[in-house]
Amino acid sequence: MRQQYARRAQVLTFVMGLIALAIVVQMTRIQNSAEAAVFRQQASNYAYELRTFYPDRGEIYDRNGHLLAGNKSVYELGVDLNTVRDPHAIAFALSSELGENYDRIMDTIINPPDGLSYIVVADYVESSQALKLQELKKALQEQAPEGTLGGLTGLQFKSHPQRSYPEYSLGSNIIGFVNREGKGYFGVEEKYDTLLAGNPVQVLVPTDPNKAFEIPRVPNGTTLVLTINRDLQSAAEDILDRSLIEYGAQGGTIVIMDPRNGELLAMAVTPRMDLNEFWNYGSIYDNASDFNPAISMPYEPGSVIKILTMAAALDSGTVVPETTYLDTGSILVGGATIQNWDQEPWGVQDMTGCLQHSLNVCMATLSTQMGAGSFYSYMDNFGLGQLTGVDLAGEAPGRLKIPGDADWYPVDLGTNSFGQGMTATPMQVMMAASSIANHGRVVTPHALYAMMRDGRQYNVPAQFAGTPISQQTADILSGMLAVSLESEGSLALVPGYRVAGKTGTAQIPVNGFYDSTQTNASFIGWGPIDDPRFMIYVWLERPSSSIWGSETAAPVFAEMAQKTVILMDIPPDYIRQQLVAK
Amino acid sequence: MNIPNVNHYIHAYKIAPWRVQRQWIGNALLAVVALAMVSTLYLDVTSQAAIAGREIQDLTASIIVSQQLSGDLQTHLASLTSASVMQQRALELGFRPMESEEAEYLVVPGYVVLEPDILSSAPLPQLSALTFPPEYNQSLLDWMDNKITSSSSRGTQ
Repeated sequence: MRQQYARRAQVLTFVMGLIALAIVVQMTRIQNSAEAAVFRQQASNYAYELRTFYPDRGEIYDRNGHLLAGNKSVYELGVDLNTVRDPHAIAFALSSELGENYDRIMDTIINPPDGLSYIVVADYVESSQALKLQELKKALQEQAPEGTLGGLTGLQFKSHPQRSYPEYSLGSNIIGFVNREGKGYFGVEEKYDTLLAGNPVQVLVPTDPNKAFEIPRVPNGTTLVLTINRDLQSAAEDILDRSLIEYGAQGGTIVIMDPRNGELLAMAVTPRMDLNEFWNYGSIYDNASDFNPAISMPYEPGSVIKILTMAAALDSGTVVPETTYLDTGSILVGGATIQNWDQEPWGVQDMTGCLQHSLNVCMATLSTQMGAGSFYSYMDNFGLGQLTGVDLAGEAPGRLKIPGDADWYPVDLGTNSFGQGMTATPMQVMMAASSIANHGRVVTPHALYAMMRDGRQYNVPAQFAGTPISQQTADILSGMLAVSLESEGSLALVPGYRVAGKTGTAQIPVNGFYDSTQTNASFIGWGPIDDPRFMIYVWLERPSSSIWGSETAAPVFAEMAQKTVILMDIPPDYIRQQLVAK
Repeated sequence: MNIPNVNHYIHAYKIAPWRVQRQWIGNALLAVVALAMVSTLYLDVTSQAAIAGREIQDLTASIIVSQQLSGDLQTHLASLTSASVMQQRALELGFRPMESEEAEYLVVPGYVVLEPDILSSAPLPQLSALTFPPEYNQSLLDWMDNKITSSSSRGTQ
C-alpha cells in the first residue's frame, strides 16, 4: 500500500514537473519570439517622453534695483470632458467670477470638437481669481452628498508664467513688451530677447513615475539691469506730459543721458502704453516708429545742428571764436537764397553771436567756407545718417544726403548747416553732441548697465565711437554755448548751474513746402559744463503756444535739468568748486 | 562500553531513510527561505526606490510652486512700491517734491558716492548631479540582466 502511494506521488511529481517545465519553456519561447521583440520595441517607444523645460524669462531692473519687468503666475482653466459632471455649474462659476460669456462656455463644454477630452475655457486668469474658483470647487465637493462629485468636478487649473510690468506705462518705450507666445517686441525686450528668454532644455523623462530621472538644471533667462533711473524717468514723463498741455504740442520726447559714458538715464516719449495690456498696441500707435520716437522717428532737427557745424568750423580751423563776419540777412548757396530765422540782417557778429542769435546765414557761410568735402566728413564722423548702435530695438538711421547722392543739391550744403534738409533722431543728435560735452569723444548711448546670470554680474563698459573733434575745440565750444545762453538770458538757464545748450526751431515740410506755422521745437543742453553729468534733449512736436524752441523747449529743458540735479544729487557749481578747492 | 555497537548505531542512523528525507526537506526549506529573503529584500528596496521617486517628484513640484510664488510676490511687491504708487502715498502723507533751491549740501568726510545697487543674487543650488549612477534607477532584475549581458559580451570578445 505504501509503495503504491509512493508510485502515485512519483507520477504526480513527474507530471507537475513536466507542466512546470512546459510553462518555463513556453515563457522562454514567448519572451524570445519575434512578436516579443515587436512588443518590446513598442513598449520602449512609450517608456520615455521628450520633455522641454522652459526657463523663467529674465527680469529687468532699473539702475537702483526697482523691478521694471518680472514674471507672475496666471492660470489656464480647462475642462476634462471625461469627468465633467455639471457643465451649468462650471459655466455659471466662470461667468460670475471671470465675466466670461455663459453661453459660450456652455457651448464649448457641451459641443466640443471631435476627439478632444480636454478643452480650454479660459486662459491668463489672474491667480487671485483662480484661487477663488479653486476654493469654490473644494467647497462644492465638501458639500456634495456622500459618494457623489461636486459641481465643478472636471474643471482643471494649470498655472504658467506671464510677463508682468509693475510700473505699467513707465518707460514703456524703453522696456518694450512680451506677447503671449513669449516673444519680445520693441525696446529692451526685443533687443535682448534671446538673453532674457534663456535656453530651453530637452530631457528624456521615463514615463514610469517610480523610476528616478535626472532633473535638468534649467538656468533662468539673463536678468538685465538698465541704466535707467526710475525716478528720473517718472519725473521726465511728468514734465513732458505737462509741457504738452502747457505748450499745446502734439507730441514730445525728453531724453537724458550721461555724456561721460553714454548711459541713458531717462527717455520719456508720448504716447505711452500700459505694457500689461500690450494688446492695445494697435489702438495706441499708428506706426512702429511711434513706439519710441527718440530712436526711431527721424525729423529735421533744425538749429540744434548748428553746434555741430560750429564744432566742425572751429576744429577745421575755418574760424576761431573771435572771428567776425558781416551778417547781411541772406546768402546765396547753390542758387537758392538762405535767410535768417527773422529774415533780418544782424550786422557784424562773432562766432558766439552766431550761436546766440541762431543765425542761419552765419552757419551757411561756415559750411560753404569749409567746403562740402570737409563739412560732410565732419557730419559723418559725428554719426549723422548712421545708426547710433543704441541697444534698443527699432532704431532708424535718419538721412544725411551727401554730394554724389542723386537727391543732393548744392543748396543742401547751406541748409544742412542749420539742420534743415536732413533728418536725425534725438538719439543721433545727442550722440553727436556728446563729443562736445565729453571733451571731443563721442559716446555710444546704451540702456544696459549690467547682465546677471548664475549669480554673477557682468557690467557693460562705456563704448566710444571716435573723436571727431579735438578736446580743445570741444571745451571752447562748450564755453561759447554757455555764454550764448547767459547773454540772451535764455529760459534754459538753470539757477546755480552753468549749462551749455542750443535751441532748435525747424519748420515742418507740408506737401513739399515748409510751413512756417508748424515747427519742431528742440533743445539740447548739458551741464555742469566743467564736469558734465547730464545731457538733456527736448523735442516738442508742433507746439501751438509758440513756434519757437527758445520759448517752449528751452524752459522744459530748464525744468528737467532742475529735477535732474536733485534726483542725481549734483550740488550747485559753487559748492562743487568749494569742494575741489579743499 | 561496547565500541563496535556504537559504530553500528551511527551507521544505522546515517543510512536511515527518514533522515535522507529530512535532509531533502531541509534543503528545500532552506531554498524557500533564501528565496523569500531575497524577494523580501527586493520588495523592500523597490518600494523604497518608488517612495523616493515619488518624493523627488513632489519636491520638484514644490520647488516650482515656490519659485512661482516667489516671482508672484516679487512682482506684487514691485507694484506696491511702483513710482506712481509711492508718489501718491507721499502726497497723501503731506510730502511735496523738493525744489532745487531747497537742497542743502553738506560735506561729509569719508563719504563715498553710492554706486548703483548690485542685485547679484545667490547662486542657484545645483538641483541634480550631472549623472545618476545606475544603482539609483536599476532594479535587481535590471542589475542581473546587465551583469549577464556584460559577462556574455565579454565572453564573446
